[in-house]
Amino acid sequence: MTDISRVLDTADKGLEQSLDRLFDLVRIPSISTDPAYKADCRRTAERIVADLARLGFSAALRDTPGHPMVVAHFEPKAAHGKVPHFLFYGHYDVQPPDPLDKWTTPPFEPQKRTGKDGVVCLYGRGTADDKGQLMTFVEAMRAWIETTGTLPIKATILIEGEEESGSPSLVPFLEANKAELTCDAAFVCDTSMWDAKTPAITTRLRGMVKDEITITGPRIDLHSGAYGGPAANPIRILSKLLSKLHDKNGKVTIPGFYEGVGEVPKEIKQQWQKLKFSDRKFLKEVGLSVPAGEKGKGVLEQIWARPTAEVNGIWGGYTGAGTKTVIPSQAHAKLTFRLVGKQRPEKILKAFRAFAKAEVPKDCRIEFASYGSGSPASEIAETSPLIRKSAKALKDEFGRDTALIGSGGSIPIVRYFKDVLGMDSVLIGFGLNDDALHSPNEKYNLSSFHKGIRSWVRVLGEVAR
Amino acid sequence: MKSLDDVLQGIDGALDESVARLFELLRFPSVGTDPAFHGACRDAAAWLKRLLTEMGFTARMDETTGQPVVVAEYAPKGLPSHAPHILFYGHYDVQPPDPLDLWESPPFEPQLRKGADGEERIFARGACDDKGQLMTFLEASRAWLRARGSLPFRLTVMIEGDEEGDASHLGRYVARNRDKLKADVVLICDTGMWNAKTPAITTRLRGCIAEEVAISGPSKDLHSGYYGGPARNPIRVLTKILGELHDRNGRVRLKGFYDGVDPVPLSTRRQWKSLNFPAKKYLGDVGLAIPAGEKAYAVYEQLWSRPTAEINGIYAGYTGTGSKTVVPAEAMAKLTFRLVGRQTPAQVRKGLRQFVKERLPADCKARFKSHGGDSMAVTVAESSPWVGLAQGALKQEWGRDPVLMADGASIPVVGTFKSLLKVDSLLVGFGLEDDSVHSPNEKYNLKSFHKGIRSWARLIGGLAHQQESMTS
Repeated sequence: MTDISRVLDTADKGLEQSLDRLFDLVRIPSISTDPAYKADCRRTAERIVADLARLGFSAALRDTPGHPMVVAHFEPKAAHGKVPHFLFYGHYDVQPPDPLDKWTTPPFEPQKRTGKDGVVCLYGRGTADDKGQLMTFVEAMRAWIETTGTLPIKATILIEGEEESGSPSLVPFLEANKAELTCDAAFVCDTSMWDAKTPAITTRLRGMVKDEITITGPRIDLHSGAYGGPAANPIRILSKLLSKLHDKNGKVTIPGFYEGVGEVPKEIKQQWQKLKFSDRKFLKEVGLSVPAGEKGKGVLEQIWARPTAEVNGIWGGYTGAGTKTVIPSQAHAKLTFRLVGKQRPEKILKAFRAFAKAEVPKDCRIEFASYGSGSPASEIAETSPLIRKSAKALKDEFGRDTALIGSGGSIPIVRYFKDVLGMDSVLIGFGLNDDALHSPNEKYNLSSFHKGIRSWVRVLGEVAR
Repeated sequence: MKSLDDVLQGIDGALDESVARLFELLRFPSVGTDPAFHGACRDAAAWLKRLLTEMGFTARMDETTGQPVVVAEYAPKGLPSHAPHILFYGHYDVQPPDPLDLWESPPFEPQLRKGADGEERIFARGACDDKGQLMTFLEASRAWLRARGSLPFRLTVMIEGDEEGDASHLGRYVARNRDKLKADVVLICDTGMWNAKTPAITTRLRGCIAEEVAISGPSKDLHSGYYGGPARNPIRVLTKILGELHDRNGRVRLKGFYDGVDPVPLSTRRQWKSLNFPAKKYLGDVGLAIPAGEKAYAVYEQLWSRPTAEINGIYAGYTGTGSKTVVPAEAMAKLTFRLVGRQTPAQVRKGLRQFVKERLPADCKARFKSHGGDSMAVTVAESSPWVGLAQGALKQEWGRDPVLMADGASIPVVGTFKSLLKVDSLLVGFGLEDDSVHSPNEKYNLKSFHKGIRSWARLIGGLAHQQESMTS
């Protein structure tokens, strides 16, 4: 029997106890956004510290201005040669459970129930996000240690308690503990599978940069009868400007915008095609039917691998009931640009601003108010050894090719690890689309939990090689 | 032509009394749009009814769906059959006086103050708009009656209390009283002079219609990360449509939009040109420098004789502080169109709907909402005998040819008279640009008031003369 199969055997045999430990965690209402649950957050962190310490980690509860962090290190015994060092991230805080009356069973009294379809699920707030997920790697490590007496890698675990409230303490904490927390790479367990049967690693996250523009025309609001015609209307200027942002093929027209945007490798495109993603269904679910992005690109490619220029808000003039014959002095818009590849946020911002300025008549003014410096895309080459090994481990467990997917949104933790610690993240998670994260009746499939633990057992084995 | 000296001397000699009567009217805080002042509106109407009764009119206060309307009739006995019926229109309601702390003297305690330039001015809310202006006509009629005993025409005076508020109240009233109000011409004293020395007749007013367009795309607000790209953003759809509304020469691109936009007669164009419209100052005063209308037209033409498509408001998505990564479900814009010539509201609405529809992606919807108060443009022919009459009277009084002026704004009541009574309006007023109408420290120059009264007296004189010559 190989190491791996012995460890998997241990994990299987210990599943009931693993579930008990998860349920113990779920029972503590660690709602980070509500000060009433401050003590519960701390209690959760203490429980994790104690558990990891029992496993042989040097584990500590670390205070922050907000809720405490859990940091634990494991030095492999009898390691020969250089052993890779990975960080494992999760969060112990959960979303508030409201509306309570929509829950079939109380949110903090976890239950294992078999659904009509015969699928066994674990119900409770946090069963998926993120207590259930973080426990998959903790339980996998337990199985390794119980079976072999050690881990095949050097491990650092970081569990925070403020993820659902914007992680205010995280960046200062990373900065203060750079040396301690910097590893070869991070594993983040907070994402989903492609579907119930297909494991996934998220390798592409779009970056983002934001801007806000204000166009000022007349010094004051004007009567549209007494000035309509000769007077410049900032709403018209703004509309014109925004209408030029895309060409008829949906491409962004800002000069230089696509610099650093690479083509998706052919084999990855082919893999995405195999995912049998239905563009039609995706759009239909939100009441749409015509893909609005760049012509000739599928929806998955548009979301995962193409940049966007999006207007998120616009306002100017009279917006109340009825009508007002006004030419407003100002008009405003808020924009976000999703970035991919090597697009640099500061360059995009600069190019957009030059583009916008050129559209404004000389007697009008344009001002910009940006929100931070933005962040470039986080992409790990699908061909990198770490991805290859992780993908193989997941394939071994699920018997299917691992989908190397993207996410159109950004995941802040990935950016923080990259920016502060210079570390790439591998995103592996076992959530499913119907897990009802942040909603009543949150659940985690028992199979997600079980196969999640088994997957990590395999991943640890693979990446140690 | 019989000398008007008796009437004019009467006006000059009794000016103090005329001012005193205006002050009485100005003391009513008749803010029509504020329920707290509805009592004061009624008091102002009752005061006017009494005033007109004393002058020999048969006056009444009619209830409307809004503030009461004062209607007074004067039908001289023994008028020749060709004598005209004149309807005089004014409004006793005023704008709210806010912000109060910017007034140098209380808005409803009228004051006559002499400025450093030696000019005497009446300060009060309504001093110009419209109490001061409407009283010029009533005082002229009074002086005429005192000197001559009777008016040379049948006169109906109608003074309303909803001009600054909802125009539909008066519309309904006029519709119900068509027979009584039907006249040969409406005289309106609610406009301005070209400048302090040059009188004006306003012969063109742009019409106005208001439209709201809402574009909806996704069935709910979406996360711009997970949907940005493939999901249609209604803001993008809306701004694309609005961005294409004008071509690069500033022309409106709606189909059929310019149907019925007639060229301005050469004589009018010449006169406008001779006015040396101060385009640079006009734009400079509001912080602008480049005319934004149709490139082929001068600023005054853009304002007086060209239609517009104007976006008055736009709203969609997240507009609070900071940012929100949202693709909103809906985007909305409010538009008004200024109309000229024979452009009809229906034609413009049709053009707008078609324009939007043509640019609407198959999975988006457009909703339109028309706000009431449509008005067509008003153009009084310069060849109209009424314009000729006013030109003569104003020239005699001011010693200068009056300007035949246009106004970019709309005066809905003119459209109401035109559409419901089929009567043209003659717009003569004595307001000045610096009267601070609708603002703190509203004023009316004493000279505007005095020479305004004299101007109307001369116009009445012109009418009397016409009849004499027709009778003889």
